[in-house]
Amino acid sequence: MEEYSMPMQRLSAIYAGRAADREDLFQDIFLAVWRALPAFRGDASTRTWLYRIAHNVALTWRARDRRRQVREGPLQDEIDAGAEMNLRRLALKRAVAAMPPGDRTLILLWLEGLSAAEIEDVTGIRAATVAVRLSRARKALQPNEVTP
Amino acid sequence: MSDDALPLRTLWMSDMPVDEDEMTSAIAQVLEKDRVARAKDRRIRLFGVLAMALLIPSLVWFAAHGVTPLVRGAYALMAIGCAVLLAAEWAYLEWSRQALPGPADARSQLQTTAFMLARQIRLLETAPLWSSPVFIGVGLIALWLYQERTHSAAFALCAVTLTAWIAAGLRAASASAKLNGQRLQMERLLNELQ
Repeated sequence: MEEYSMPMQRLSAIYAGRAADREDLFQDIFLAVWRALPAFRGDASTRTWLYRIAHNVALTWRARDRRRQVREGPLQDEIDAGAEMNLRRLALKRAVAAMPPGDRTLILLWLEGLSAAEIEDVTGIRAATVAVRLSRARKALQPNEVTP
Repeated sequence: MSDDALPLRTLWMSDMPVDEDEMTSAIAQVLEKDRVARAKDRRIRLFGVLAMALLIPSLVWFAAHGVTPLVRGAYALMAIGCAVLLAAEWAYLEWSRQALPGPADARSQLQTTAFMLARQIRLLETAPLWSSPVFIGVGLIALWLYQERTHSAAFALCAVTLTAWIAAGLRAASASAKLNGQRLQMERLLNELQ
């Protein structure tokens, strides 16, 4: 799990804007993984298995509380720390967080280095569709990414 | 993937590594959360088993040995109502458990969760109906009080029963509306993923 803690934290940061929510979401992901572990038979790769659980928790977590959807903009509390943070990375995170949920899920997985086939495994969307949607989402991302 | 993939991914993954103490603390909190959730689950089950073991047999006994047929019928209805309540509670918890996010792909997970939420919503919407045997049973006891004892006690019991029935219905309707909001959100997400 430690190996995947950074990707899970990045994912939490995109779905939850506030630090307290991020921590909650990260813990919920960890808890879901912990509970699913006994049923893990190793017939899927550990990486895609973890991403499946993490994205399912994140999507459900956000959908379960309407207040989370209308809270202040994503990554609000990181803006103050922006001076010390790489501004381009922050801009990228904000651009990803502002995407529609479907595209955001795909682009998150792609940024984490998953192939279209692995993304199909995680999301259930066909690899060919994933490739088309990713191409469109990346185009939308580029101008935002360079402008903090 | 295309050439622009590398700089974006490098930028994306250039976060500072997680502090080891922070990680240990997160693990401890998760294990504690798990322990609390399991303890709560055990308490609910224990309560269900106790109710089954104590309440329902007592109601059945009163149904068999009540002073009049009206009282016996009232207790029989309450026993049936309690059994139905327990079954509904068990089904609700089971569907909540099945709706928890697991290792299925996102589309299947969202479909399952939306389906389970729809079941829970239907259960809540019909709560005034399936909880009616308990309230009707108490109402019959009030009728017996009216016939055999004091009118004031009968009216008081009737008022309490009606209030409880209405309150239970309103609470179920409110919970159902909340779950329906979640279900609609799940379906929106599902549409966006497709």
